[in-house]
Amino acid sequence: MVLTTVIISRGGQDSLRLARERLGADVVVVPRGSVTGVEGALLLGNATNTYMPRGVVDRITAVPGVAQASSQLYLTSMANSSCCSVSTMFMFAFDPVTDFTVEPWLQEKLGHDLQVGQAVGGADVFVPEGQDKIKLYGYDFDLVGNLERTGTNLDQTLFMTFPSAYAMQEISKTKAKMALPLLTDTVSSVLVKVDQGADRTQVAQAITDAVPEVQAVPAAEMFGSYGDQISGVLRTLVVIVVLTVALSLALMAVIFLMSVHDRRRQIGVLRALGATQRFVMLAYMTEASVLAVAGGLAGAVLAVVVVYFFHDLLVSALGFTILLPSVLSMIVLVVVGLLVALVVAAAAAIVPALRASREEPAVSMRE
Amino acid sequence: MTAAVSLRGIGKSYSGKDAASFAALHDVDLDIETNEFLVITGRSGCGKTTLLNVASGLATPTSGTVTVDGVDIWSISDAERSGLRNRTMGFVFQFPSLIPGLSLEQNVMLPLEFSGVEHEDGPQRARELLDLVGLGHRTEALPRELSAGQQQRVVVARALVNRPTLLLADEPSSDLDEETEDEIMQIFSRVHSEQRLTIAMVTHARNLIPFGTRHLEMGDGTVRADGADPGANGD
Repeated sequence: MVLTTVIISRGGQDSLRLARERLGADVVVVPRGSVTGVEGALLLGNATNTYMPRGVVDRITAVPGVAQASSQLYLTSMANSSCCSVSTMFMFAFDPVTDFTVEPWLQEKLGHDLQVGQAVGGADVFVPEGQDKIKLYGYDFDLVGNLERTGTNLDQTLFMTFPSAYAMQEISKTKAKMALPLLTDTVSSVLVKVDQGADRTQVAQAITDAVPEVQAVPAAEMFGSYGDQISGVLRTLVVIVVLTVALSLALMAVIFLMSVHDRRRQIGVLRALGATQRFVMLAYMTEASVLAVAGGLAGAVLAVVVVYFFHDLLVSALGFTILLPSVLSMIVLVVVGLLVALVVAAAAAIVPALRASREEPAVSMRE
Repeated sequence: MTAAVSLRGIGKSYSGKDAASFAALHDVDLDIETNEFLVITGRSGCGKTTLLNVASGLATPTSGTVTVDGVDIWSISDAERSGLRNRTMGFVFQFPSLIPGLSLEQNVMLPLEFSGVEHEDGPQRARELLDLVGLGHRTEALPRELSAGQQQRVVVARALVNRPTLLLADEPSSDLDEETEDEIMQIFSRVHSEQRLTIAMVTHARNLIPFGTRHLEMGDGTVRADGADPGANGD
């Protein structure tokens, strides 16, 4: 329970943090009333149609405190399509001239901008086996690289430039089963970098005031509802964990008391033969430790199985994404979990062990 | 000659459920001499097992002193007392006292494990003692594979493994048939005479008195009669 709770809580928080970092922005601007929809699209892949006129970009750029503004467009999502390498793929278009989120990565990894017909994928996007390109709406894309994992919907996203999106739309009219429903001169969001030293919250308010049809949110507050959700779920999980640990402690204490009682006479005999009080204490505490390690390992394996194999179910049930820990982090968490198990077992065993060690051998051997 | 065990002014009381205390022993003065075979008899509840427990350090006296080989055993720490018990005493209890999960050889070697000293000849010694009690061919057997009488013989072997100077037996044959009882008593007689072992044995069977060199009769928590027995060693 402890390990699962820690994995879920850290995974959820890490996922949100990486999603915010991936945005790369100080302020995120979306159509008024669509913050929740955008959050759901970015994190969980929920379908959303959020569009605003491209003209808002210039108005946003004119707001004092705004250093840079770059627009993005959510094209569409495709589920179980023959073209797609993941179960559901999402497509984003970005402005290669003003972008400051994907472009730095491109420069670092590829050394050049994305050309028309090239795309960058999230961690889970790959070219289907037997093909050398990803075909979408009849248009072939070269997958030139993959971004790092975030544990969010961004891992199943294909990033392309606006020119590539428009080219794809044109091709789709003749070569796709269904034309790509792309609205030109529209954008879905505008990512903003503020001037150095500017207050992000104040700039966001200024944008909202200057462009009433949009809503500007400091990036740090993005996914706030999901953060609250994580906190709420975690509070519940913590209560359950505390109760479970307390109940385990009580049950183990009873079991150790019964074990000591069943072996009283045996302890008396060992004491008669020369075993010291310390020996008896050590024997019981060692037994408790072995049981704790065995139980802790079994619990750790179960936690890993649950989290890894039922990850999608957990995300669906909890309503927020969970970034799975690295192997090293998992090892550290398992070790911490074992330590918790050892402490609980020791706490449960110490009183029965003390009683057993301090009882007179003659009393122990009495029927 | 210094007594193997010396009890002076011994009293042992237990608190009852209604807070009234019960005196299992009172005003007991006793010297168990070296190489004696002391047989202690008395009715049930007269305090003979309590006397043995107090003399061996398994029960704390409410009053008085217990000296073993010149050492006041209640003036030393529990660890020292356990060590003294391990080095100088062997125990044969009335109830089955072998450890179920250990083989006969391992059970016999248990006192060696608690001695804190490496015993390279431990397994050899255990096998010799199992031979002495007629079970040398069953060293790897588990206690559950043996009869009660056979188990008690292994307990005798265990009691002797550390070469103690004092053997304490509490009703060692009460649950055994006559033939097995006689076998146990013959072993006791043999080690008493050959190894000059001091033995203190509690029993309610008066037919075992002749095996001893001294008979102590107890009643109501104190010594009623104390004298040498002319039927020493069952001769």
